[in-house]
This record gives sequence, structure tokens and C-alpha cells, in this order.
Amino acid sequence: MQSIFFKVYKLSAKQQFIECAKLGKVLARKCKNCGELHLATVYFCQKCGNKEFENEELEGKGTVVTFTIITVPPAGFEKYTPYAWAVLQLDSSDLRISGFMANMAKPSDLPIGSKAKIIGFDERGIILEKQ
Amino acid sequence: MEKVCVIGAGSTKYGKLQESIADITVQASVDAIESAGIEPKEIEAGYISNVFGVADKQVHLGPVVMSNLGIPEKPSLSIESACGSGSVAFREAFANVAGGFYDAVLVTGVEKVTHTGTEWTTTYFSYCSDFFYEGQAGASFPGLFASMARAYLTEFKATEEDLAMVAVKNHDNGFLNPKAHLRKKITIDDVMNSAVVASPLKLYDCCPFSDGASSVILCNEKFAKQHTKNYIRVIGSGRGGSPAALQGRNHLTTIPSTKIAAEAAYKMAGIKPKNVDFAEVHDCFTIAEIVDTEDLGFFDKGKAVEAVRDGKTRLNGEIPINPSGGLKSKGHPIGATGVGQVVEVFDQLTGKAGERTVKDAKIGLTHNFGATGASCAVHIFQSV
Repeated sequence: MQSIFFKVYKLSAKQQFIECAKLGKVLARKCKNCGELHLATVYFCQKCGNKEFENEELEGKGTVVTFTIITVPPAGFEKYTPYAWAVLQLDSSDLRISGFMANMAKPSDLPIGSKAKIIGFDERGIILEKQ
Repeated sequence: MEKVCVIGAGSTKYGKLQESIADITVQASVDAIESAGIEPKEIEAGYISNVFGVADKQVHLGPVVMSNLGIPEKPSLSIESACGSGSVAFREAFANVAGGFYDAVLVTGVEKVTHTGTEWTTTYFSYCSDFFYEGQAGASFPGLFASMARAYLTEFKATEEDLAMVAVKNHDNGFLNPKAHLRKKITIDDVMNSAVVASPLKLYDCCPFSDGASSVILCNEKFAKQHTKNYIRVIGSGRGGSPAALQGRNHLTTIPSTKIAAEAAYKMAGIKPKNVDFAEVHDCFTIAEIVDTEDLGFFDKGKAVEAVRDGKTRLNGEIPINPSGGLKSKGHPIGATGVGQVVEVFDQLTGKAGERTVKDAKIGLTHNFGATGASCAVHIFQSV
């Protein structure tokens, strides 16, 4: 299933990925040859080398496999500090996705195994939220 | 393939340096040339590794170095591969000497960033990650390695105190190294009580931002024999890659590129991990040394922590790790680090390591990677 605006506007793969993230989804590319799933920003299949893909929109929901709470931030993140950067294992596939998570002050706020989802994309990249 | 040797090595002190990036690059190069006992005109090419020359208003360092050495007509290559730049430059030099293109070449790595301050370095270093997914989302380098540390501590029941022991051990070694950046002994309590940078990593789990330059002279064995008896052989060289972003890896307690590079280097050298007498590994954070020493085959998966507790990686242990003090204590001028590791192995295997000498060492290994191990090089050296 593809969102209607992809057909109306010709967006680059990266832009399509971003638009999907804003809707809480992960735009994946499924290899037409071997079925391997990749993030949309991959252009050749990492398993078989094929370059024919079909888009697949995955629900951006998953489980926290690891994370950190950042207290010494890079420039631009001072006003959000402390915050988490976390890696999710998606529920719907073997893919993992990482992103920024606001309002996390201590490790006990986000136990490994917590459920989380993508809630948007902005200047902080992919935005995650604990569920 | 020509046999490749290291016949000279030199390094500036690592730390906060006042001189310009060009000046320290040339200083280290001159030291290496003098150590080798050769004339600059005998050098046929230069390989210069650096990441943030832009911070000190000098990129394209190669021609500047060659000109200052009085050999402006000689070709040079300026190389960037994040924190692994030095070992990548070394590998390119190795390949060119092994392939017979040159008899003798210069490899110099350098970094000059401490004048920019912590925010600049934290920010610019994050550009070495897969920025779209990591740096852009606020993941600093301590943050990325902290994520690996949390995965490791969860999977193997290791503790933050175990990680701290790596820092204590490397500071003990660095205390014996006159060129080390953080030349002081520390305790587990010092580490545990230091400020949290990115949980579970604290300030003393992290290597410092350092300035510094390191240089070596590589040549074929015929050239080496004509000039000195004090040389070492490069017996193994391997490189590997990993998915650029951590999210692309199914396991965060191992670094794929290290395993690939190590396997290739061991195969070329015709040795096993147990034959290595000591290693300089990429301990940008305490967790990295734990993961590295497992990926290099010195310990089984999940067992490196126990080895550290048992003192196996200490200077007098069964496999000393980072006798120089490592990135943690000796310092991490990112473009220089991979070359600096070779300098340490050269000093160790030619009797120049002073108080931190690894007893009876014949075979040393260097392991250096870029970013979270997205690119990696492993080299193995033997005394003659």
C-alpha cells in the first residue's frame, strides 16, 4: 500500500522515507528477487545485489533493544537535554530503527523491552515515543 | 608480493598542543625519518591521515608535509576514514609497498582539535556516524557506544565497575608513557564518580579529545636491510566493514568489521589469536576494548570482562592490551591514532618502550576502527 501523495509528488527515496516517518511509519524496500527487507535509503539488495524493489510501509512500532540517556549533547540539543537515543526492533519485521526520544531523564524511565513507536520526523531526525 | 617492514617511527606528545596542525605533522614525520636513519629524498610517497584539518585551517596536508621535508615533487595522499584514518593510511601504504610500486614511503597521521572546545568536537565527531539516523537525532559518539555498552551489560550480566576496570588498567599503562595525554593513575571510584556523559558511560569511560601526530616509515625488506637492523615486519593486514548505522546490525555486542579484518590479517600472517603477544586495540570507550578483545579472538564472547577482572590484559598479564595506555589514557587524536598504535608496536618490538615493555614480545597486533566500527583495519607485526 502506498500513500497517495507519493503518486502525486515525485519525491526522492529519502524524502518519501521522511514523509512516512511523519505518519509514524517506516518506508521499507522489499527486494523483488529475494524478498529481503531494507530501509528505503538502500539502493541495492544487501543479500542478493538486485536493485529492483517494491515499497512496503511498516508500522513504526517496536521494542527498545538498547538506548542511552545523553547528558552532554551535540550543538542544537542543549534545550532537549537530557534525552534518549534509542534503537527499536520493529514488531512487523526484522528491521531495526533508531531515533530521538524526548523527556527521558534516567535509565529507569526506559527499561529495555519497553514498547515505543515513531511519532514524527523533524530537525532531530526520527522522533520516537515510549508507549 | 614484497615483504613490508617498518624501519622508523616517531610521535609528538598527545594532549593539548600549541603548534599548528602542519607543524606537528612535520615534527612527527621528521622524528620517523631520523628514527629510520634515512634521507627524506629516499621516500617515494606520503600517506597523510587526518579528519578535521578544517578546524585548524589546513586540509590537503600531504603537499604541505612533503614540501616541509624538502621533497615537494613526491606524491602524497591525504586520507580520511574517521577515527580509523591512521590505520587506513597505513594499509594503503602497505599495499603500495607490497605491490612493488614504491620501495619506501611515509605514513603520518595527525589531529588538532582541542582548541575548538567540547561542544564543537562532540558535534563534528557526530558527523562520522550515519548522520541521517544517528548524529541528526542527537546521538553523540559517547551515546552510540553507550548504546552498545547497555546491550553488553544486559546480555552478559557485566557491570559498570567492570568497564571501569578497563579505564584503570589503561591509565596504569599510560602513566608509564611519557607521550600520553592523561598521564595519571585512577581508581574504579574515580570512574564511577565521574560525570555521566551518556548513560551508562561516564567521563572516565571516554577517551579524551587529543591533539597529536604519529609517523612511521614503511619499506620493502631489501630497503630495510640496507639501512638498519632495527626494523619489524608487517606479517598481516586486513580490512573490513560494518553497516554504517547501529540499527543495521542485529547484534550490538560485536563489531562485524573487526572480525572480518582480523580474520584476513590472521590468515595472511598464518597465525592464531593465541600467538599474539600483545595488542593495541581501539578503546575509544571502555566498552570498546571489551568488545574488541572478543572480536579479535583473544577471549570468547562475553568472557572479556572476566579476563579484565583476572588481570589477563594487564602489562604483565597473558595478553597485555594497550600497553601504550590506549586511546583512553595515551589519547585519541583521531587522524593519528591508527599510526600511533604502529609506533607503539615498533617501540615495543625494537626495545624502546622503557618501563612499559611487554616482556619477551615477538608478535604485536594493532586494531583501529572508524566511527562505531563501520570501517576497520587490523595489522600484525613481528620482530626480526
